[in-house]
Amino acid sequence: MQITQEMSLMEKLHILTDAAKYDVACTSSGVDRAGNGKSMGNCLAPGICHTFSADGRCVSLLKILFTNECIFNCSYCLNSCENDVKRASFTPEEICTLTMEFYRRNYIEGLFLSSGILVSPDYTMDLIYQTLYQLRHIHHFNGYIHVKSIPGADPVLVEQTGYLADRMSINLELPTSDSLRKLAPYKSRKTILKPMRQIQNGIQANKNELMIRKAPRFVPAGQSTQMIIGATPESDFQVMSVAEGLYQNFGLKRVFYSAFVNVNHNSNLPMLPGGPPLLREHRLYQADWLLRYYHFQVSELLSEDRPDFNIFLDPKCDWAIRHLECFPVEINQADYRTLLRVPGIGYKSAGRIVQARKHGTLTFSDLKKIGVVLKRALYFITCNGRMMYPTKLDEDYICRNLMGDRTLIPREIRESGYRQLSLFDEGMVSPEAILS
Amino acid sequence: MHILICENSIDGIFSGIYHAYEKRYGHKNTQLSTIEGVDTYQLFCEYEDITTDAAISQKVANTLISRLGTEVYSELCQAISAYESPNERKKHINKAEAVYKTVVLGLSIPNGSHILEYLGNPYVNRVFQLSLSTFNEAHHMLGFLRFSELENGILFSRIHPKNYILPLLADHFTDRLPQENFIIYDEPRKIAAVHKSGSRYMLAEVPQADENFINQFSDKEQEYRTLWLTFFHSIAIEARKNPKLQSQNLPKRFWQDTIELSGNS
Repeated sequence: MQITQEMSLMEKLHILTDAAKYDVACTSSGVDRAGNGKSMGNCLAPGICHTFSADGRCVSLLKILFTNECIFNCSYCLNSCENDVKRASFTPEEICTLTMEFYRRNYIEGLFLSSGILVSPDYTMDLIYQTLYQLRHIHHFNGYIHVKSIPGADPVLVEQTGYLADRMSINLELPTSDSLRKLAPYKSRKTILKPMRQIQNGIQANKNELMIRKAPRFVPAGQSTQMIIGATPESDFQVMSVAEGLYQNFGLKRVFYSAFVNVNHNSNLPMLPGGPPLLREHRLYQADWLLRYYHFQVSELLSEDRPDFNIFLDPKCDWAIRHLECFPVEINQADYRTLLRVPGIGYKSAGRIVQARKHGTLTFSDLKKIGVVLKRALYFITCNGRMMYPTKLDEDYICRNLMGDRTLIPREIRESGYRQLSLFDEGMVSPEAILS
Repeated sequence: MHILICENSIDGIFSGIYHAYEKRYGHKNTQLSTIEGVDTYQLFCEYEDITTDAAISQKVANTLISRLGTEVYSELCQAISAYESPNERKKHINKAEAVYKTVVLGLSIPNGSHILEYLGNPYVNRVFQLSLSTFNEAHHMLGFLRFSELENGILFSRIHPKNYILPLLADHFTDRLPQENFIIYDEPRKIAAVHKSGSRYMLAEVPQADENFINQFSDKEQEYRTLWLTFFHSIAIEARKNPKLQSQNLPKRFWQDTIELSGNS
């Protein structure tokens, strides 16, 4: 559909936000940059959430598309050229004004700019570059910018954009190249991984350069990517192995997982009457944290024989129950990495335990004050050689008790009903099967 | 037991600590408290009121900075800025007492800058909890606070935090918006942080805010608010709608200070 009439800014914002909302990442983390006293903006490494939308997701950045016109026909995407939807495009000036005015009112932490592909990848990437250039050099914006790199765009444009952005991302879209070929015929693994590698090398070269002299920073908050979960038949094991590969080989900061929503009612794709696979997405994020903060490897959590996560227990509890030979752990002696593996002890509390026990032995009540979730940890730890209650170090016993703790399935998912769980649970173990 | 009653402020509690040392009753026989009122008096205790003195407080601050380091010093100030509900006061060690005994312990060990690692110590642990509570709320508020542009171009924000976090917020926004004139008004405490373009901020007591002044918005203000609401409503995914998760992540007490959830835009 061709729009001839001039659209109001309000209408454009509505269309281009709506079209951008399925992108998961909205974090403003990864870079610390103090204000410079002249231009507007600074950045905090942990990032700041500015509000939470009706779906409970954090809103940190002004997440919009430059345009939702697109020459590609990816079947999972709302903006596919085969879809009859209202199309709109911003001008660089409009994006700059919105960003600056929202930022000074403290609505947002910065800009997240993505785009459909207008005319060609190079043409689109150039428009994005122009926008960022104006924002940084004419409006003197010093806040956070996350920008999508367009697959197939000229490496020179990607590099120039990288010097203006804090984070760049290229969506992997689907875990395997087979699925990608089926659902996104115009994209290929090669056009996605090539710029990813380029940015990785750019970041490394920039780091080396910064050690010798002062230089403009290239993608200081690193790069991220996202995968759609539940549109194609990959197992959790495949998805997590891909994620692990990306962390190890491409130095990614984050991999995001997006529960599939069949927006196009496309008959080639699964219809999900129970809604998007949110619990599966949740378990993948939990496992993702285990990879990034807890020194776990995918091969420890899943295998060819056990390709999917247990929905009744989080991945860490699940691992601990299958490795009772590693427990119990003595809180006053175990090293940091061992503490990290105990269910109920997070990386913050593990750090606090290591600090606090230098100055005196810790008791269970100290652990509680430090932030350890004792109702989960108590089966796996001792303080001064004693357990909190007389418990058995027995798989069935612990499993039964842990599953009595309803918080293991997140409240928001529990309350939306168990119906949707059955959708992706083929081959999943029932509670009886775990216990028997 | 000697109980020194001091004012509930950084200067008040630091003055209390100074007198606790100076009076030489012995730290075991001395307690600090911010609670006034006869009904809480205990038997066999002598009560003394401590007058807040900025000069004395400065002396204590200098000692703490030089002996325990700036990090510990700012954690102590953060703990003092925390709000204690009447219920918390019954259950936990009083804030002034926790800070006082933490300082005593910190000055008695060889490496005072590590004092906050003694989380097994009940006083240190209380300081840690209080400081964390202030820090967490301040971090939330950095995101949830909203500025409105007044007719004269000044950015104005009204907040209702539980803890005294105004200085932390003002530091952040002075760094972020150096060229803006802005005011952050802590309504329950009647204190405002006022920042003039290109300078540092000042704290001012505002017993009576001029409602006419702070409700005169610029012409553009309503337009950007509406744009923001458009964005806010469009960004949510209908298929994932989850009001419980929303209010879990953004507790309702913050809603009144936002534009999009305050219900009056």
